[in-house]
Parts: sequence; structure tokens; C-alpha cells
Amino acid sequence: MAPSVSPLRIFYLEDNPLIVFHIEAMIEDLGYVFAGSASSFADLVGRIETIEVDGVLVDIDLADGRTGPAAAKWLRQRGIPSIFVTGQEAIAAEYPETALATIGKPVSESELAEKLELFRLTSSTSKTI
Amino acid sequence: MDATDSPLDWVLTMAPYRRDAEHLEALLAQNGLPVRRAEGVEELTALLEQGPGVLVATHEALNPEVLEVIRRYLIDQPEWSEMPLVILLDRAVPQARVRAELSAAWPRSRQLYYQRPVTTLELLSGIQSILLARLRQRDIRDRIEREIELRRELNHRVKNILASISSIFQMTRRRAVSLDEFAEDFAGRLAALANVHSAVFQADGEAVEFSSVVELTFSPYRVRGTDRLVFTGPTVLLRPDAATTLALCLHELATNALKYGALSTPEGRVSLQWSVSQEADLLSLEWVESGGPSVSEPSRSGYGTRYIRSALSSQFGTPPVILFHPQGLRCIVSGPLSRVSPRQPEV
Repeated sequence: MAPSVSPLRIFYLEDNPLIVFHIEAMIEDLGYVFAGSASSFADLVGRIETIEVDGVLVDIDLADGRTGPAAAKWLRQRGIPSIFVTGQEAIAAEYPETALATIGKPVSESELAEKLELFRLTSSTSKTI
Repeated sequence: MDATDSPLDWVLTMAPYRRDAEHLEALLAQNGLPVRRAEGVEELTALLEQGPGVLVATHEALNPEVLEVIRRYLIDQPEWSEMPLVILLDRAVPQARVRAELSAAWPRSRQLYYQRPVTTLELLSGIQSILLARLRQRDIRDRIEREIELRRELNHRVKNILASISSIFQMTRRRAVSLDEFAEDFAGRLAALANVHSAVFQADGEAVEFSSVVELTFSPYRVRGTDRLVFTGPTVLLRPDAATTLALCLHELATNALKYGALSTPEGRVSLQWSVSQEADLLSLEWVESGGPSVSEPSRSGYGTRYIRSALSSQFGTPPVILFHPQGLRCIVSGPLSRVSPRQPEV
């Protein structure tokens, strides 16, 4: 096994602060670093420039509308992988190449643990946007 | 033009004999009714797509192919629509049989028959009253569309609230030492959520004043003396989501003060102040406890502290400062007013 490296940094794009609160705790419990959150695509673009992240969890419906898929595409163009977290799996399925996977809501810790591993597989080095 | 935008107040005519068609067109146009004429099946299909208010046709125009095009159009109509048809019949045709045939061929349509020669007055008043009924159908269409929109919005909100409650439940459970403690904390948080929902609903769901959110959230803690919990600040309007977040944060601060802080002793005081700097449009909030037991930083942070840090960071874009000052806990946060206020039209 490879020697342990610094934990992956996860950012969360979600407009409900209570869900952010919950997922943030789960992410930290699983040994990752919670790198912050944004409530809209516009907010993400403004906030993330200086933040180092290895992966982003992306909700489909955000404070500025159904902008999650566009945000995931935007991240992908910058080499940052994302995973959809949504109660609307059918809509996430319309964007199969955009994110690595989809996690259904309400989020279970076991599914989160399993899917976050995907970031580890795609991450060679940490990226700055 | 999109078919759903059409005002339904134009007349589609179909008459194979040029003289009939031109006469009909002139008559309607003179009386202010926009007319479009279909000369063949293709044109008829294209014009029907654009949603006419009424179709006026002479009996001769209704060959089997035309009947079928109209039939298909009538069947495919949306639920609100019942396109009226005005048919001009010759005296010589077996009228009862023609009516029976057309009724059978055309489901869900309102049919009006005239015998030629028809007087201008009769035909015009018939078409006008039928167009009025058609406009009412359009109103129903608009109402149905609004209802679908509302249902979609309601579904979204209900899901969001269920997700919020699920998160509160999971997070309360993580920290709970006993079932009683869990039940009390969970009930308190749900009550805070329910209270702020009522405040937002009473404010028409658009914007709610910060002071009313504060008043509502503090009311359970003020029974033992109103002057122990004071708040001051200018009028600030909050979006429903921001009102919810701030109410839940204030609930956590107040509960904590009651259990361990300034509200746990008779001498303790809590002051909440907020201000808006005009130049930068920056909202600042300051929670200050004093006169309570000596405070020290807890060895691990509980639900309240973690929630306040997480939620205020999301809401304002910058984390709050939480100070475990020996004289009392302090919580300070500031951020752009635009992150909590409803979008306002340019002045």
C-alpha cells in the first residue's frame, strides 16, 4: 500500500445550510478535509479561485436555479472531478459524462464513503483552480 | 410565434369557392376580426398548429382528408381547449345527417351550424360569442399552468424541508448522550424551524424582517424577565432561507446560554446587536453574553457551535468568530447584505 498522503479536500455546492452542516460532519468523520461550500454556481466561481480542492460534491438545484450540471461541466474543464448529490437522480442521469457518480438524497454515510473513494482514484495531485 | 402565446382571437376560414372565401374574409375583416384563409390540407394543418380562435368552414370544404386533419387536431388538443367550429350548410343538404356525421367525427368540439344564406348579424354575433368563450378557455389554460408551477415549487420546498429535518435529526442523534436529551434538543430545533416558517409564511413568503425573526426565536426564553435578552438594530429584510438560517443560529445561541451561559444564572444578560454599514452594504451581527458563569472553551464542539460555524459560513461567505471569553460567550459575524436580503429592483 502507498504511504498515506495528506487527506483529500472536498468542496460542497449546495444551497441548504442544514444539509451542508450534516454532510460536512460526515466528510470530516470519514477522514477528508472539508474545504468549504457555496450556494450557487456564481458563488462557486467567485469563491473557489483561491481554494485548493480535490473534488466537489454538486447539488442539481441551487440558489441560482438548475445550475448544478453546468457547474460540474465548468469544474471538469478545469480538471476538477465532481459527484452529484441530489434527490433528483433522473436529472443527474441526463448528464452521464459530467460527474463521476451520483449520490441520492438523503445521503447515507456508507454511500458517501464509497463514492468519495472515486475522488481518490482520479486525484494524482491536488489542483488549484 | 409560439402556439401557446397565440391570443386565440383570430378566425381560420376554409371555403373552396373563391367567391365564398373572399366574401367571408371581407365580412369578418370589416368587423375587426383577424382572418387567415386555408386553401389546402397542408395550409390547414400549418394554421391549426398556430391555435386559431375558431374555424369557420363551408360544408363543401369538408372532404374526408380535411375532416381527418381537423379530427386529429381536436383529439390532440390540450385539456383546457375545446376549439369551436362554425359550419355553413346549404339548404339542400340533409342537415340532420350532416350534423350527426360531424359530431361523430369531431370529438370535444363546440359546433355551430348556419344555413346559407346567413345574415351578417347572425354570423358575426355567433362568432363573437364563441370567441369570448374561447378566451375563457385561455384563462383556464393560464390558471392550469400556474397551478402546475405552484405544485412543482411546493414539491421542491417540501423535499427541502424534509431534507432539513433529516439533517437536524441525524446531527442531533450524533451528539446525544441520552434519549431524553435527544428528544429535548430535537423538539427544540424543530420548534425553531416551525416558528420561522410561520414568520416567513405570514410575510407572504417574500421577505421577513430580521427583528421579527429575533423576537419569535427569543420568545420562549423571555418568560423569566424580558430585559435579560435585549436586541437592537436597524430594519433589515431577509430572504426566507436566510431568515431560517439566522433563526436556527439564534436558537442554538439562546439554548446554549440557557444551559451553560448567561441565561443560566439570574444575573446574566444577553445582548444582540446588528448594524448595516451604508458604504459597503455590510451586515454585522454581534451576540454578547455577560454576567453569567465563567466561560471556558469546551474540549470538543457540540452541535450548536458546529452548526453556527457551518451555517453562518455558508450564509455570509465568511466564518463567524466565536469567542469563549471568560466573561461570557461572544459570536460575531459580518457579510454582504446581498447574501441575506431579497433582490431589490434598481432604484
